Amino acid sequence: MSVGHVARALEEAKIATIVIAVKAFETRMRMMSLPRVLLVPQLLGRPLGSPFDEKLQIDILKTALQLLEKAEQNGIVQDYH
Amino acid sequence: MQKENNPESFEAFIKSFFYGKRSDLSFKFLSDLTPEDASTFIQNLFKDVVDSLDDGDLFRVKQRMLQGQIQGYREQKNFEYDDGPFHPLEKPLSSIKLSLLTSSGHFLKGCDPEPLGVENMTQEEAERRVFDFLKEEPQLSEIPFDSKPEDLMVRHGGYDIRAALKDPNVSFPYQRIVHLKDQGVVEKLTSNAYSFVGACSQMRLLKKTLPDWVDKFVNQGVEAVALVPV
Repeated sequence: MSVGHVARALEEAKIATIVIAVKAFETRMRMMSLPRVLLVPQLLGRPLGSPFDEKLQIDILKTALQLLEKAEQNGIVQDYH
Repeated sequence: MQKENNPESFEAFIKSFFYGKRSDLSFKFLSDLTPEDASTFIQNLFKDVVDSLDDGDLFRVKQRMLQGQIQGYREQKNFEYDDGPFHPLEKPLSSIKLSLLTSSGHFLKGCDPEPLGVENMTQEEAERRVFDFLKEEPQLSEIPFDSKPEDLMVRHGGYDIRAALKDPNVSFPYQRIVHLKDQGVVEKLTSNAYSFVGACSQMRLLKKTLPDWVDKFVNQGVEAVALVPV
């Protein structure tokens, strides 16, 4: 919720945001009507994956940044595969 | 053996993982499952553990936990908005200034935000007092992007920090953001990345804290922020 409120405030100030959230947070994220959300199939507390899995961490971030760039409207929720 | 007069119910057992006598932040979702669903989850997890011991593949254990967490959090509803603001990225990604903000509770050694006025609060105390955190205004920690992982600390009463203690990038991916900047995926980063404890008063965050945080980003000419909730 906290990060959702941060995202909404930044967007109001004309700063684009991308939220990277674990899949368990999907309901919360959707209910907050956030501009762009990448849902990752990872465990709570490890949204970027396991410790030292640098390859996965970078790929999740790259995918998130691509979503940041291509989104043209509010409410984009994309699953990371 | 003396017979116990008041045996613990299964419902009390699963509730105890949510800040009770068996508090476990990776399994606190059990308290949000029905007793039937929790029973099925535990039974299937035991089966998966044995199968994984046989073939050495822990993937099915992770998937079982993932499905349990998804099921537990599915009905959690708090803030609901019919619509939201949207600001498009106005430049190519490769020419923007990016920042990072997470609710993971990271901070630099020597810069402890001392939540609730407590010096050197332990993770155990943060978990025990998580409901006190929910009444407080959050504090933003500034962490230079060139910090060494060994100079970072993490404390958060709302999630299992064990992975974050081993590698901050699991919830505060600041080194991976630097890697992408070095590859030219984005042009610039702010000097600092930012983190706070997401378990905080939403009303204080909305009415008191956020305007200052937003100004901080606006004043640095930030065009986009990657946000990571935990």
